[in-house]
Amino acid sequence: MGYMRDNPGGGYGSRPPGGGGGGGGGRGAGPRTGGRKRFLFRRRKYCKFCEDKARWVDYKDLRTLQSYIPERAKILPRRISGTCATHQRQLMQAIKRARNLALIPFTSD
Amino acid sequence: MIRTYETVFITLPTLTDEEEKVVVDALTAVVSDGGGVFAANDRMGRRRLAYPIKKFEDGVYTRFLYDSDSGVPKELDRRLRISDKVIRHMTISMELDWAVASKEQAVRDAQARAEAEAARAAGLVTDEAARVASLLTDVSDAPPAGARDEDDVDFEDQN
Repeated sequence: MGYMRDNPGGGYGSRPPGGGGGGGGGRGAGPRTGGRKRFLFRRRKYCKFCEDKARWVDYKDLRTLQSYIPERAKILPRRISGTCATHQRQLMQAIKRARNLALIPFTSD
Repeated sequence: MIRTYETVFITLPTLTDEEEKVVVDALTAVVSDGGGVFAANDRMGRRRLAYPIKKFEDGVYTRFLYDSDSGVPKELDRRLRISDKVIRHMTISMELDWAVASKEQAVRDAQARAEAEAARAAGLVTDEAARVASLLTDVSDAPPAGARDEDDVDFEDQN
């Protein structure tokens, strides 16, 4: 409570910041979702493997794997890529296999 | 129990073609003698390694795809481990549907290769043959893993 009083912005308690509620609301022709905060429009994440109906992830298919290993050559987490649990697991397996065969690096500085 | 296995191994880049053939043929014999049936015996080509192995920056990749019982990959693994001309190897046992698809792909690849070969022999490199040939060399053409585009998402910075 004390925090609220000290906060010069004041409005944070009742409305989402910035263009969230206002900007989104102006264009929103679709059904309104209660009091849910709407942030800047963000593309819905989906599992690319599910889209292709992939039943396995090939460790030799570097073109696919490349898109899941960002700069440091770590495995792109699910929360970023939107990959489903099943495919993330297969992807992890494939990346680790490819690493062992020196197809992709373990790490790159 | 007969299963489908895929073995990929990397041989020294310094071997001559003949030396490499000797190594690969010996390993091929291990599979055949053990009762394995080849679906594919590909030379995937020379490729830059993502990190140096035994101070080598390149390696020659070879892939075996075969049906056999579990004794064959075991023996193959033993030989690969001993050989000083092989710097890295890996065998995986493939799940059924993946194995079926891989074998079908191997048949298609073999056909495409035969056609490309025939076209080259006939001296006419048609567009189709060129396309097929480019498909076949896919692995070796892939960009080295070290060199990546600038526009890669740096997910660590987003947090």
